[in-house]
Amino acid sequence: MDDISSILFESAQRLLSDLSARAPIGQPMAEQDRADGWRQIEEMGLPFALTSEEQGGLGLSDADAFELVRICGRRIAPWPLVETMLANRFAAEGGTVSAEGPVELLGELTAEQREVAALARAMQMAGALDMILGMTISHVQERSQFGRPLAKFQAVQHSLAILASEVAAGQAAAEHAVARLAQGGSSATLAIGIARARIGEASSKAAAIAHQLHGAIGYAREHRLHLYTTSLWRWRDEYGTQAWWTRQVGRQVLAAGPDALWPMVTAA
Amino acid sequence: MTTLTFPPPVESETAEVLRTEVRTFLAETNAQRIPLERAESWNGFDREFSRAMGRRGWLGMTWPKEYGGHERSAFERYVVVEETLAAGAPVAAHWIADRQSGPTLLRHGTEAQKRAILPRIAAGECVFCIGMSEPDAGSDLAATRTRAERQGDGSWKVNGTKLWTTYGHEADYMILFCRTSGSPADRHKGTSQLLVDMKATSGVTVRPIHDLMGQHHFNEVHFEDAVLPPDALLGTEGQGWAQVMGELAYERSGPERFLSSIQLLIELIGALRSSESVAAQSAVGRLFAHLVTLRQMSRGVAALLEAGEDPTVHAAIVKDLGATFEQDLPDIARSLVDEEPDLQSTSDFAAVLAYTTMAAPAFSLRGGTREILRGIIARQLGLR
Repeated sequence: MDDISSILFESAQRLLSDLSARAPIGQPMAEQDRADGWRQIEEMGLPFALTSEEQGGLGLSDADAFELVRICGRRIAPWPLVETMLANRFAAEGGTVSAEGPVELLGELTAEQREVAALARAMQMAGALDMILGMTISHVQERSQFGRPLAKFQAVQHSLAILASEVAAGQAAAEHAVARLAQGGSSATLAIGIARARIGEASSKAAAIAHQLHGAIGYAREHRLHLYTTSLWRWRDEYGTQAWWTRQVGRQVLAAGPDALWPMVTAA
Repeated sequence: MTTLTFPPPVESETAEVLRTEVRTFLAETNAQRIPLERAESWNGFDREFSRAMGRRGWLGMTWPKEYGGHERSAFERYVVVEETLAAGAPVAAHWIADRQSGPTLLRHGTEAQKRAILPRIAAGECVFCIGMSEPDAGSDLAATRTRAERQGDGSWKVNGTKLWTTYGHEADYMILFCRTSGSPADRHKGTSQLLVDMKATSGVTVRPIHDLMGQHHFNEVHFEDAVLPPDALLGTEGQGWAQVMGELAYERSGPERFLSSIQLLIELIGALRSSESVAAQSAVGRLFAHLVTLRQMSRGVAALLEAGEDPTVHAAIVKDLGATFEQDLPDIARSLVDEEPDLQSTSDFAAVLAYTTMAAPAFSLRGGTREILRGIIARQLGLR
């Protein structure tokens, strides 16, 4: 990551935090606010984060571009920014014109495009997981019952340790897949499958623990937690369900056979 | 960012060249080892194999050459360690010494201790055991009651009992964690580490403890007025707690914390090879994703070690996730293959399944229980 990228990350994080804080939770946004927010996102150039410089993008490396995708998962705002980033990348690769305004749905994707989109979801999940871990830690430190903060109960501490471990594992898997994609070559497909299998599972476990530790408060529509947990429940099955990606990995491992297991692990 | 991030593993070409050498070596030396033996993982004990590893320069790899080491990187050592584990090689005769006793000596030992012992470890000639647990000090290590008292001539008189001492009956040395002043109520104050020559110290009795399979790895080591020379002190008197925590970081950081069941995964893939079953593909895909991810995280721990950073919390995460993975494997395997587990079976799958089922409870006990590890992680999160 160079200085320019880190400045961009900071600005994007600030803008998206700001926009996400202003957006009403669980209600539609006023048309004018919606248009203003998107204009600010466009002014920063974020919809072209995943597009190469020659094709009119921001000139970020793949590794840095997917960091921006992670930031989008950490600061969920009510615009389909990642979809638009993907649509613009695919349009540029196909030599067609980029979209005007936010793109809600991607059309038919090639196998390769689907992998990139699946990896973007993995990095969004990595960001959202980081967020719910932080929210849950804060909550158990602030909320008291039986005369002490929830954080002082060993059962709560151990649940949070599991949550933190799952988050760390999911992120490691997603980051590894980004590294493989950035390297180029054929190993990215398997690494993306691994990432989606692992971070999908981490998302399920983490969302369950986050809700459990937030208690009824976190189940309320006005609480921010569900912005993240419901996103995780959607994302883990988009651009290939977790089950589909997991089977792709399993099929390859079984086809290679027992003697190939370890060499396959070290090459993955 | 809240998350405990793991540094990305460092890709090294020299390490990959080394990997090929190690695989070639293991393909020869390990060829006769049957799957059930391989399933013993790092409990398999063979002094001749350890000497062969030493001759290759694959023990004490990161230590200075003047102490018999090879001044190679933590990543190169990692390659050797993971390849021997994945192959189910009998590593126990050098395992503890190479992993934690040697590094502890290197850090805290006197010049004489280092010169006398480290080259022998690097040659695969010197077996170590760990002197931590006691009958009343398991997870609560600071409750240690074993006591070493300084005598008028500077020697140490030791009384007490150590428990669950793996390969204590084979060991040449033990690093003994014990109390050198105060009482158990003083907790970690007043503790020290001492080097015990297991073959030449009178007053030391080693009794076998058989595990639930009837195997003899564990021992009870009893000290009764055992006298250690004045130079037996390792490191600083009274600093035993800090030293032992450093030693545990080595003990918890390696790939042995998620590879103990790999032979069962190999046999499972063999048994399912022609399967078109969705359940088989899903289960194997999930296990493979876990395995690759654990390895990435574990190599991140090696990167922390190489950078001289404290890997305690990262190692705790890998060990906790890794033990869960290792322990889940037998139940997943038996849900997919219709074979009765049987140690005596001629089917490798059935024999390895039986073995791993019975070995599994120890995975989340040895080297720090699951509960202790989760406490370490929770402390890092600011909850304790």
